Amino acid sequence: MVVRLFLISSQENIDFSMLSFFRVIKFAIQDFFRNFSLSFMTILTLVLMLLSVNALIAFRVVGQHAIEMVEDQINISIYFSHTASDEHISEIVGFVQSFPEVEQTTFKTPDQVLEEFRTQHAANHEILASLDELGENPLGATLIVKTNNPEDYENIITAIDIPEYQDIIDAQTFGDTQAAIENIRNITERVERVSLSLAIMFGLIAFIIIFNTIRVAIYTQREEISIKKLVGATDWFVKGPYIVQSIFFTVISIAVTSYLVMFIWSRFDPYWGLIWHQADFLTNYYNSNILFLLSSQTAAVLVLTIFSATLAMRRYLRT
Amino acid sequence: MISLESVSKKYNRKSVALEDVSLFIEPGEMVSIVGQSGSGKTTLVKLLIAEERASSGRVKIGDWDITRVSRRDVPLLRRQIGVIFQDFKLLAKKTVYENVAFALQVAGESPFRIREVVPEVIEIVGLQDKMSRYPHQLSGGEQQRVVIARSLVHRPKIIVADEPTGNLDAINTQEIIDILSKINDFGTTILLVTHNKDVVNHLRKRVITIHGGQIVSDQQSGKYRL
Ligand SMILES: Nc1ncnc2c1ncn2[C@@H]1O[C@H](COP(=O)(O)OP(=O)(O)OP(=O)(O)O)[C@@H](O)[C@H]1O
Ligand SMILES: [Mg+2]
Repeated sequence: MVVRLFLISSQENIDFSMLSFFRVIKFAIQDFFRNFSLSFMTILTLVLMLLSVNALIAFRVVGQHAIEMVEDQINISIYFSHTASDEHISEIVGFVQSFPEVEQTTFKTPDQVLEEFRTQHAANHEILASLDELGENPLGATLIVKTNNPEDYENIITAIDIPEYQDIIDAQTFGDTQAAIENIRNITERVERVSLSLAIMFGLIAFIIIFNTIRVAIYTQREEISIKKLVGATDWFVKGPYIVQSIFFTVISIAVTSYLVMFIWSRFDPYWGLIWHQADFLTNYYNSNILFLLSSQTAAVLVLTIFSATLAMRRYLRT
Repeated sequence: MISLESVSKKYNRKSVALEDVSLFIEPGEMVSIVGQSGSGKTTLVKLLIAEERASSGRVKIGDWDITRVSRRDVPLLRRQIGVIFQDFKLLAKKTVYENVAFALQVAGESPFRIREVVPEVIEIVGLQDKMSRYPHQLSGGEQQRVVIARSLVHRPKIIVADEPTGNLDAINTQEIIDILSKINDFGTTILLVTHNKDVVNHLRKRVITIHGGQIVSDQQSGKYRL
């Protein structure tokens, strides 16, 4: 009998058996429920951390969208002189359109410009009366230019600001646009910087809190770990349940967080709807990025929990 | 069965726990180890279960050189020796049954064999009615009996008990010693570290006295003399 036990024991110590694997999972489930308050606190901490990370993501997404919206409203208008010939005008239009940075151009004929002017000043009878008095259209054609990036406007403005074009182009909305571009650029940079430092800070705090939570949890169980070693448990038999529990913590906290995030964001969505006339803005963002959001967060939390558990256990597993 | 050849253990430069200790214990013996606090008794036990390494000399169990045992083989060694401590060392979140079964589970025993062996050893210590209790629902004597049951699951050839009755009253002490004697009668070698004079005198077995990390007396059928 003793001999047989010797044989079984030595074999188990060397190779990985399915039976032991199932036992480790069973112990993990048992430990999870028998130390329920500890499990609960760990999951709660993880959920709070994940919520702040998701809040940050939402902040960034909304902020970037806001910037895009403002950027979208910026353009330059090139006002052609009403005496300019059609050939000259189409030459400049072609020249502007040849820029790769140019995303879109809209050309308005003098008649269209006049029409818009009239509707814009429909309430001002004096202006309309003086227009009528003139008899002919004093306004030239207009080209509205949109670029991919606000930085590109400057290039175009300098490119057309040459002596040859001085008689053809009356004016361009240069000053206003440049100021707006500067503003936007500043805001963008600041938002990026703030959200990046917030992300780093949150990440660091979350890491320290989670690391400590798990370390304390394992510290309170060092007695258990030493007893298990004492009765002949191998390292991985002691470690296994903690690793499996780390996986439970991760999966549960991710599930709870994504449910909460979906709920909270759907509550916020009507407000974006009011501002941007875009329904379900955050929900849509979440849904279309769900795979990336879930997998990256799961991976990060998994690495964090398993890393902390392994590190915390290392010193108790030595003897 | 157990042999120590000029074993010394220095924890650090100031603390020498054992000095040039040599002893031999035959299979089936029941040996009491006595000595003042700090004389090195627990250190001796820790050397046997490879919780500490000897600074010099050689510790052997059978023909297994414990001083050379690899880290990976330590769990194996511990499954061959039943260990009993003064402070019980039971898993608080597991029931009596689960605590005993755990020692088999770590060794990869089949569920079938576990269901067979665990009730058997629990019955030896007389706790068959309290198998589903948690340690905190048991008296000190009962907890120590669970530990004895657990130490028996692998049918060890050696049981090492470090002051197993240190936390128990006279009646519980006698019960535990009786159980250990009974196990010894079946042929298991028992190493009993104790402070209890009555226990030693009553046993009338071999007594080794340690003082300042050295063996100062070794008597067959001895008495507690300090
Ligand atoms: N980990 C350690 N580090 C340093 N010194 C230690 C360590 N463990 C024990 N000692 C010292 O070794 C000596 C022997 O200790 P040991 O625990 O073996 O005594 P003991 O005989 O079991 O005492 P007691 O009867 O009080 O349990 C003591 O002087 C103790 O201070
Ligand atoms: Mg001691």
